[in-house]
Amino acid sequence: MKRFWFPMVVIGVLSIFIITGCSNDKEEVENDPPLNEDDDTLVVAIPADMASQDIHNHNSTLTESIHVNMYDYLFQKNEEGEIEPHLIEEYENIDDHTWEFVLKEGVTFHNGDELTAEDVKFTLERVAHDESLREHFQYKQIDEVEVVDDYHFKIYTIDPDPILLNRLSRIGSGILPKDYIDENGWDHFLENPIGTGPFKFVDWSRDSEIVYEVYDDYFDGAVEDWNKLVFKVVPEDSTRVAELLTGGVDIALNVPNHEWDRIDDNEGTKMESTTSQRVAMYLLRFQEEYPTSDPRVREAIDLAINNEVLTENVLGGGGVPVRSRVTPGNMGANEDLYDTFNYDPERAKELLEEAGYGDGLEITLNGPSGRYTKDRDVQEMVAAMLEEVGITVNLDLMEWSKFVDLRESFKFDDGFFITYGNSQFDASLPLESMRTDFAKDMQGYENEEYEELLDKAEVNMDLDERAEQYKQAQEIIAEDLPYVYLYAEMVNYGTNDALEFTPRADEMIFAKDITKK
Amino acid sequence: MTVKSEDLQTDKNKQNKEEVRPVTYWLRLLLKSKTGTLGLIIVLIIVCVAPLAGIIAPHDPTQMDATKMLTPPAWLEGGSMEYILGTDNLGRDIFSRILYGTRISLLVGITSVIIAGAIGIALGLLSGYYGGLIDTIIMRIVDAFLAIPGILITLVILSVVGPGLWTLIIVLGITNWVEYTRVVRGEVLSVKEREYVKAAKSIGVSDLKIMMKHLLPNVASSFIVISTLSVASTIIAEASLSFLGMGIQPPTVSWGVMLNIGKDYLAESWWVATFPGLAITFTTLGIIFLGDWLRDILDPRTQMNGK
Amino acid sequence: MLNYIIKRLLQTIPVLFIIVFTVFTLVYLAGDPVALMLPEDATPEEIETLKSALNLDKPFIVQFGTYVGNLVQGDFGTSFHYDLPALPLVLERMPATIELALAAMVVGVLIAIPLGIWSAAKRNTGVDVAITGGSVLGQAIPNFWLGIMLILVFSVNIQIFPVSGRGSLMHLVLPAITLGTGLAATVARLTRSNLIEVLGQDFVRTARAKGVNKFVVLFRHGLRNSLIPVVTVMAMQTSSLLGGALITEYIFSWPGIGQLLVQAVHMRDMAVIQAATFVIALAVILMNFLADITYRLLDPRIKMH
Repeated sequence: MKRFWFPMVVIGVLSIFIITGCSNDKEEVENDPPLNEDDDTLVVAIPADMASQDIHNHNSTLTESIHVNMYDYLFQKNEEGEIEPHLIEEYENIDDHTWEFVLKEGVTFHNGDELTAEDVKFTLERVAHDESLREHFQYKQIDEVEVVDDYHFKIYTIDPDPILLNRLSRIGSGILPKDYIDENGWDHFLENPIGTGPFKFVDWSRDSEIVYEVYDDYFDGAVEDWNKLVFKVVPEDSTRVAELLTGGVDIALNVPNHEWDRIDDNEGTKMESTTSQRVAMYLLRFQEEYPTSDPRVREAIDLAINNEVLTENVLGGGGVPVRSRVTPGNMGANEDLYDTFNYDPERAKELLEEAGYGDGLEITLNGPSGRYTKDRDVQEMVAAMLEEVGITVNLDLMEWSKFVDLRESFKFDDGFFITYGNSQFDASLPLESMRTDFAKDMQGYENEEYEELLDKAEVNMDLDERAEQYKQAQEIIAEDLPYVYLYAEMVNYGTNDALEFTPRADEMIFAKDITKK
Repeated sequence: MTVKSEDLQTDKNKQNKEEVRPVTYWLRLLLKSKTGTLGLIIVLIIVCVAPLAGIIAPHDPTQMDATKMLTPPAWLEGGSMEYILGTDNLGRDIFSRILYGTRISLLVGITSVIIAGAIGIALGLLSGYYGGLIDTIIMRIVDAFLAIPGILITLVILSVVGPGLWTLIIVLGITNWVEYTRVVRGEVLSVKEREYVKAAKSIGVSDLKIMMKHLLPNVASSFIVISTLSVASTIIAEASLSFLGMGIQPPTVSWGVMLNIGKDYLAESWWVATFPGLAITFTTLGIIFLGDWLRDILDPRTQMNGK
Repeated sequence: MLNYIIKRLLQTIPVLFIIVFTVFTLVYLAGDPVALMLPEDATPEEIETLKSALNLDKPFIVQFGTYVGNLVQGDFGTSFHYDLPALPLVLERMPATIELALAAMVVGVLIAIPLGIWSAAKRNTGVDVAITGGSVLGQAIPNFWLGIMLILVFSVNIQIFPVSGRGSLMHLVLPAITLGTGLAATVARLTRSNLIEVLGQDFVRTARAKGVNKFVVLFRHGLRNSLIPVVTVMAMQTSSLLGGALITEYIFSWPGIGQLLVQAVHMRDMAVIQAATFVIALAVILMNFLADITYRLLDPRIKMH
């Protein structure tokens, strides 16, 4: 018997060791990741591959954050989110439909050609006129780009467009080289893209890495700290963190909050966070057959949720409670609805009682799983909070593509959890989804006053008045609760201590602004 | 070789003999194999825990406590006897969750294996008994299934129908039948040439009856062996699918779900993933040991050679 | 033999057709990926426009017919995600996956066969139980779990191997172990049981009775005869090895077919799922075919019928 049991015990102990192995001793090894000083390469670990080389045919913020290093926008947001001219020397809004611009002189593409107004016309009209491109819907307002001379051009919009400059400083506005593309064809361009940005394209091995190198003739002065810029694709969170801890990469994107301590405690790495445009929320049904059509039930749900427990305990400080989807930094943000929340479980119980659900209410909430930071945990926690006030929640979590089906076919139950971003830095995009022509089919929400406000704001060229209209609109939503807002997510980067890196709310990674200490 | 030659002859009329053998005979055989004993003990524990989870578990498995997130196990600093194995990221008791997880993991393992077995045996019987075109068609389908990795086809189907407890069970069932078909077909091919089958056929016994009465009992031992081992691989498959985001979704508690949550906390709070991981490993271990032993005693060939 | 080869090759045609049909049907049922391609707040009107632009509104038979027609010409369609032909995308990833799979097989063979032999030679001793127990454990540990643990221990804590990516030989070690462990466990158990079986056969007993050295018996008589089925089983494991690659590649950011596929499934990138499944199935069929032929060449008993 001894012969048998002894090895079995050894195997048992060994397996426990393997499984728990060395994992809880924090102090045993101090990793001191060296920054690659010798070769001047900045390595950034990203959670998914670049979607496309075609700047007009993707809608990924991540891909944009890579592209901004090799393309320039006409206007660029600064770190505070204000829009500033970038490739533009001066500009003027001539009338409701016409804008005039003057390009900077001496801006060159990576092949040496100078940037001209023809390039701008080519770029913007391509996306404005080709319906099959995924960014088309953000640019269809542009009717025509008229070239006045090499550096002068005018943009005509179909309707008055108060946020034209917002459009020109985001995905799809990187200026493409018309002559180069005309000469070599579009496919050649996709394989060997050039732009006017501070870095030029070297190589893209799909699902592995994207390599850029510095462009010496960049119009704003060549980047000095880096010769090479590498985006390394590392989908698994723990692997990405491990790469950072061991010095394999200098910056790691999307670091989940449970890894923050590990990065901060490790010598040579630290966390950098900032608030983002992404807001988590619950959509609720307004159709009569659903209990959430009763405003008291919606209010009770809002009051039952303690947003601070979500941001502090579940997200570990990785969020800010909100009551609107428009966060500060956006034109038209209502700051009164930021960093605040309603929580009163007693009042929630009373409201449910009044609504006739004194003996309890059962609702089903759908939601994606594994798509957003801690989405499962947040939804489970919210379900527990609603349980406290007497609402039994059937939680129906599902994989993302399935969830999208459910949402698009309007077959969801009483409501669903979702996180929406906003690439436009303006209130119009996030508020669009509560408008009648969209929300009526989606969830049965309709509010005439809201509708009127948005109709006016959409074409209002008086920016201050427009912002006021959007603020009012947000008040209406916070009252009606077609969406119960939870929190604005933070964006979290793990970085090497030797770097000077300030995260941006638009999640762009401008390597030219990242320096060595 | 200690096994006597008469054991060899017994397999021809195994059916009659099995009825004669008393329980003590099996028990004796079992105790002779130490791994088999260990396997049986583990499996018995698991099978008993599943229905009794509600009684044994000290906490509600979904009860959250925001103030007690990631409490370490009782024997570590900061742990308490209230949560023997610690708590997870939402302050839920890991011990209770493992106990309840047993239900789901076993449900997935056993039910999907039954589905797979039913499909596999039916097709295997048809294929082996009738031969000809039916056999050709079924075997080509088998070849097709063998050529695609199981997890891939499961993943694709789940992405179509959407993950969920019962869809997962059914999908794992309909993707794992191939092995049964192959083995059953082989056995049927050899058995159907036997005299008593031929005799039954000649006196006009219906095909269905022959299959049920004469062929099915002969494939029973193969079924038991394959399905035991399948239960183990299904439990692992469930965990792997959870890892890829296509598994069972919370708030349902399964070991795969727990492991998937816990893997995020490995570096700082190892207990969240380790205990469900151990539960999977030891259950699988027990089932494999038991399955190996069953194969040894049910298959006369290995009974003679190995032990 | 030639007839057999031709017959086997002809058999693969219906098999491949079944695979193509099944996967196409599944992907068709999955619905169109248009909603996933647009921004999260796209309107229904925007979705319709894109859908008809991509020809996704035709009936099933028409879509399938067109698909097979193109497929015969080597055109597997265009990846929605990458906006590139699917087949080259998949083939581009082939070398990485083959490299990983071969390395895993090497791990399987180098570790498993000696252990299997040792275990069989020392049957029913502590060594045997430990090896058997260890190999069962190898089968019982989910490989994503093993991969994450290996990174934590060998890359983060002791820093011997790089964390992820493909490049040097060092990059290959951890993924190969992760993927190879399951195979190694199977092979070790099989080697052991085959060897024990062969050693129990008459000709071996005769040799032993004649006083032939026990190592000679073990290696010359035993091993040679017991390894043939092991080789076949390893070929049959190609399928589960490639299945395991799905997870292993994801953990280690290994740029192979597995990673591509996991991503494609989540994005419903139909064309890539179809092309990759086809390529994987073809590889598995080919491996099994080769193993079968080798087996027939090596084993005189089968050659006779």
